[in-house]
Amino acid sequence: MKRDVLQEKILTILVDDFEFVQPGLDDNLRDDHGFDSIDAIELLGKIEGILGLALTREEKEKAMEIRTINDILDYIELIESSRTT
Amino acid sequence: MRNGLLSDFVVTIICWVWFTLGFILFFSWRYVAAVLFAHETESSIQRLNSRFYQVLFRIIRVTAPNHTWEIDEQVAAIRSAVIVCNHLSYLDPLLLIALLERHRTIVKTRFFTMPIFGWVLKKAGYLPASGKGQFAGMMIDQLESMKSFLQRGGNLFIFPEGTRSRDGKIGNLNRGALKIARLCNAPVYVLQLANTDKLFTPGKFLFNTRITNTISLKIIDCIQPTHPDNMPSTAILEQRVLKAYRKQQK
Repeated sequence: MKRDVLQEKILTILVDDFEFVQPGLDDNLRDDHGFDSIDAIELLGKIEGILGLALTREEKEKAMEIRTINDILDYIELIESSRTT
Repeated sequence: MRNGLLSDFVVTIICWVWFTLGFILFFSWRYVAAVLFAHETESSIQRLNSRFYQVLFRIIRVTAPNHTWEIDEQVAAIRSAVIVCNHLSYLDPLLLIALLERHRTIVKTRFFTMPIFGWVLKKAGYLPASGKGQFAGMMIDQLESMKSFLQRGGNLFIFPEGTRSRDGKIGNLNRGALKIARLCNAPVYVLQLANTDKLFTPGKFLFNTRITNTISLKIIDCIQPTHPDNMPSTAILEQRVLKAYRKQQK
């Protein structure tokens, strides 16, 4: 999946489901949008839906360190590439 | 005055004796047995926590009779819900644990690193406040199992202010509890607790047994999912919770 398509999907989810207002790609998710560990776990479920796969425990733990929307996109691309190689 | 202070001191010491010796003599071996032999360790530990604090509150009721208790019987009957409550004293979480046998709650992350106490918290299925670093796995496990825990009759109770109120007024709310309610499509019960801070005041070491006081706990709102798969947004839930508290303060 191309990054710009992925970006649009993630932004739509963050606005619609997590009530983000005007999210920026390098905003600090916690400080700027109140995004916490509970949100991260909910988002992981939605990422699984986008990718059509189940994340492993290690992959989920890695996601808890995500800070920005760009980090989310990097994370998804990393998962995609690791599953295709 | 001196007799009053002596009474405060004696009640405080009795409670601490229960916390330490009472735990070692009457409960420590039960916890070990629950971990080794119980079919469902988590619910067994929660039940033991509940029993332990039920005894503590019996002790307080007997030794501090100037404080009367008006606890809404409906509170102990709540099942499968996220419960939010205002926070006045360190006694508050202990009271809810005593009342709700099947419960989980969110605890300050640093408590999980304490010997024995941290172990009990982990075994009880409580959630760390932060999911960072070594606590990421624990947070994931507890949240992923939360929906089934609630569906099986358990309750998650949280003090969304995060800290004890010093003036009795409701402070800013952390939305974590409401996010979990949405995630699990669970009803939110809003509880109002009053005057536990008169018995065990923030910043004080001794219980205050001298004043005449009524401690009360009641349900002031219940927000049900409007549709099986359609919970209000977190912002709307927060507004409703705040409205319920502000109505009580008028």
